[in-house]
Amino acid sequence: MKNLKKTLALLLALCMILALAACGQKAPAEAPAAEPAPAADAAPAADAAPAPQEAKWLRMATNFAYPSLDAHKDYYGWYTQIYGMTETLYRIDADMSVSPLLAKDSSVSEDGLTWTFTLADACFSNGNPVTADMVARNFQRLIEVNERYDDWADFTFTAEDEKTFVITTPDVFPTMLVALTDPEFAIMDLDATTDFDNAPICTGPFVIQSFQPEGDVEVVRNDKYWNGEVKLDGATLFYMPDADSKLLAMQAGEIDCYTSVDAAAKEIYEADPASYNLTVIPGTRMQFYVINQTRLDDSVCAAINLTVDCEAIAEFLKGTTSAAVGPFIASAPYGQVTKPAPDPAAAKALLEADGYTLNADGFYEKDGKVLELSIAHYKSRQLPDLALLMKEQLEKIGIKATLVVEEDPDAGYVATGDYDIALYCMIADTGGDPYYCVDALYRQSGKWAKAGFPTDESEALINQLQFETDIDQRAALANQIVQMSIDDNAFGYVGLFNKVSVARPGVTGFSEDIPFDFYGLTPETDIA
Amino acid sequence: MAKYIGRRLLHLVGILIAVSFLTFLLMYLSPGDAAMKKLNAQGVAVSEEIIEKTRESMGLDRPFLVQYGDWALHALRFDLGESYKDGFPVAGKLVKALRYTAILALGSLALAFLVALPLAILTALHKDSLLDDITRLFSFAGNSLPNFLISVLLMYFLCVKAHLLPLTAKESVKGLIMPCLALSIPICGRFIRQFRAEILEQLGKPYVSGARLRGVKERYVLKNVLHNASISILTIVGLSIGTLFGGSVVIETIFRWPGLGKLAMDAISNRDYPVIQGFVLFTSTVYVVINLLIDICYAWIDPRLRRKGGGA
Repeated sequence: MKNLKKTLALLLALCMILALAACGQKAPAEAPAAEPAPAADAAPAADAAPAPQEAKWLRMATNFAYPSLDAHKDYYGWYTQIYGMTETLYRIDADMSVSPLLAKDSSVSEDGLTWTFTLADACFSNGNPVTADMVARNFQRLIEVNERYDDWADFTFTAEDEKTFVITTPDVFPTMLVALTDPEFAIMDLDATTDFDNAPICTGPFVIQSFQPEGDVEVVRNDKYWNGEVKLDGATLFYMPDADSKLLAMQAGEIDCYTSVDAAAKEIYEADPASYNLTVIPGTRMQFYVINQTRLDDSVCAAINLTVDCEAIAEFLKGTTSAAVGPFIASAPYGQVTKPAPDPAAAKALLEADGYTLNADGFYEKDGKVLELSIAHYKSRQLPDLALLMKEQLEKIGIKATLVVEEDPDAGYVATGDYDIALYCMIADTGGDPYYCVDALYRQSGKWAKAGFPTDESEALINQLQFETDIDQRAALANQIVQMSIDDNAFGYVGLFNKVSVARPGVTGFSEDIPFDFYGLTPETDIA
Repeated sequence: MAKYIGRRLLHLVGILIAVSFLTFLLMYLSPGDAAMKKLNAQGVAVSEEIIEKTRESMGLDRPFLVQYGDWALHALRFDLGESYKDGFPVAGKLVKALRYTAILALGSLALAFLVALPLAILTALHKDSLLDDITRLFSFAGNSLPNFLISVLLMYFLCVKAHLLPLTAKESVKGLIMPCLALSIPICGRFIRQFRAEILEQLGKPYVSGARLRGVKERYVLKNVLHNASISILTIVGLSIGTLFGGSVVIETIFRWPGLGKLAMDAISNRDYPVIQGFVLFTSTVYVVINLLIDICYAWIDPRLRRKGGGA
């Protein structure tokens, strides 16, 4: 009996001591100097974000968190920019136009190979000026540490003088300004920074206060900010990957705003407009399908596109997507394409004219073989819902469909071409220019070429687009290429994910009106 | 006993080799790789040329056995390598996540044990009473409700409605309460049922009837019952420790608790072989060591096992 008592006592004591001792450990990050203020209309939880009332402190939830603040590595620059720490030479505005930020202006030589930039009178948060030499060294470092910029290895970066910076390219590179809006082109003080992972010295309106790798982040106002007044004192960015947690934290008054609101939460916020401001704008992430023309009759390809009703799908997805015509938002100059309205009767007529007849089960067949399509997709970005809705719509007119799910589409059906219809989701517009998407989707050497669309004509147009410097002409070329993909019934553009943001009344300027995912805090971000 | 422990530790080496090899093979055979996952992480398309180059620089283009052998040789020198995803040392990532998992696991286990044991004793002694019925209902509900639902309900009532606890708490006792509760409710439900069944079984044995007929006081009877039930109770608790140390993805994601479960899930999504391998090595070791400790405890509790001179 003594042994039993000892065992139990030991076990319990061990558990309690370890748990309590571990709980009592200090958080690795220090508390903020100016702590967050609770929202005026919400009763905050016991010890959630206490703060002096006078501090203008924003509490925002983020969907991702990274182990480092080194803006040049991986995709970390996306988040240093969201945190308001880093800035680039150019930025994209809400109207998708590119405007100068750390650069004052730029010019390109007649042969299109030399870009000359004049830098703005910007400085880092330590007061050091941003020089052309520093910019050149930042770009060189980016290429060294980030594999995605290997293509830039042939470019040369030189500092002509203190504020004149030159990029020389081996080929004409008309999308240079757009490329420089990538958050990875952030400029850091390479000489003064001693810890790139935890405390890089940058030019943005906020500086890091505390950083928990893959966790929460606190930033405070950069008192030496070069580009106007910073309205907030600081902000806490909580890493909250779970949608329900964000909704409940918003309802509990523990956060003030966030983006990527899901459909269920959106309905709840919509029902209470006095407490929540909801902003919905079309984003740049596109859901689309590719029709495998090498396996299907022309009539079937056309029937698919006449059957899939994008408006009905967007309605089912409860406002998280907007129905698409092409891969780009319709207001963009390179988003001017058209597609026929859904017409199931016309689709049936096309199939019947091609010799398909309805069998006893209500499905079309030809030469004794039932018309059955595989819809390949993966479990992400609402593609399973899209696949199911497309299956329903196709089966309604008599085209049998089977759903095929793969975990990794790029290594699976995209690589093998083993599909009749392939669903996919990607960012179509990375920064106000169509070339990235056109290059990714329609190239003869591209990953979708197995489906049979690219022709010599489309390839020639893409080559022309690659080197075209006139913006209007670029838009016209892109429209022509995308229209070809629609008219040829090779692609179906279903929806553009909406960027859905929510904020308490009085919270403004957290980039809720910009369709890109990599903007967040700005000098204009404010909380009433 | 020393021989027995030595033999079990030797088994551990075999288990670690087999488990790490199988895991590596499964990851190798599954579609996609770390290079593609890393470069396409935000849905930005990258050229096949860059993907190939990255694959090469990460050593992913080498044959399977070469990759595994290279990893195993480093692991033998206690070098678990660096994460494919972010280049940080795997050992550091595991240690950091382990700290969080240990806090959560031990906290929830202690809570579940402290609630379950007295309730199991009471309900076994007062079988079919009102208390027994209520406890059984709680036990079934705790067992049946999925973790995410328990978590959301707790957050809704304790944070949104009552404002008792913060959702955005950092590492603190307050921050630990909700994940601990969410994790311990199902464990507690299971413990109550299993402990109660074990105590009831002991109460039905002839030695209990004999003792009662001889007029032995009830508290002494109960002491004997608990002593005899303790081996089973220890087994149940021990197995739970092993499971809890594997991490709980749902709880860790919902409550922003960066433990081993989330680390492993993220590593699997990113095909981050070094982290997955490190995780597998760690959890296998924990399972084996905890089972070994339980066996040692058996011998400690039951002198008959000691006298047999072997393990359980």
